[in-house]
Amino acid sequence: MNTILEKLSQKPIVVISSAVIWALVYFLARWLLDNHQLQDGLRVAVALTPILPFAIFLMLMLAGIRQMDELHRKVHLEALAIAFPLTMLLLMLLGLLELVIPLSPEDWSYRHVWQFLPLFYFLGLAFTWRRYQ
Amino acid sequence: MKNRLKVLRAEHDWSQADLADKLNVSRQTINAIETEKYDPSLPLAFKIAELFGKKIEEIFFPNQGN
Repeated sequence: MNTILEKLSQKPIVVISSAVIWALVYFLARWLLDNHQLQDGLRVAVALTPILPFAIFLMLMLAGIRQMDELHRKVHLEALAIAFPLTMLLLMLLGLLELVIPLSPEDWSYRHVWQFLPLFYFLGLAFTWRRYQ
Repeated sequence: MKNRLKVLRAEHDWSQADLADKLNVSRQTINAIETEKYDPSLPLAFKIAELFGKKIEEIFFPNQGN
């Protein structure tokens, strides 16, 4: 299983495709939940469907990171070290702002905020790579 | 940490990509070591030393003041 994952993770197209599939499943689930009246049980099932494609993407990404050389692994670690505190800061500020300004759940719910997290990660990657180039 | 990697590589007439292939690392890693933006791990430093047939301390030097 690990060998298969390692081989697949060496092909960027496979990792990118798994991320695209995860995103498509997420947006499809969101579209279904936003636009269709489904039974409660079915709504929960639809809401949980992105877990599987995300798990596949995560396994491929981790397998890829394990095969990287030491500098690349360090860059990813430092990117996380930037992204994680930024995530904490965002959630903390939103929590405080919520006490001051009524934040519309149509703009600032979990389904909107999570999209900042990968953005922080990519910012961290870009910032870290600059240090080593 | 300072190093003589670029000089040694030039003596062997290897490109960064050639050296990266021999050490099983990326070209960016070689570049970052040569430009002293990244200090290699001890296993990688040993690998480099072995490849050039030298001791680690003949390739890597502490910065002045360290």
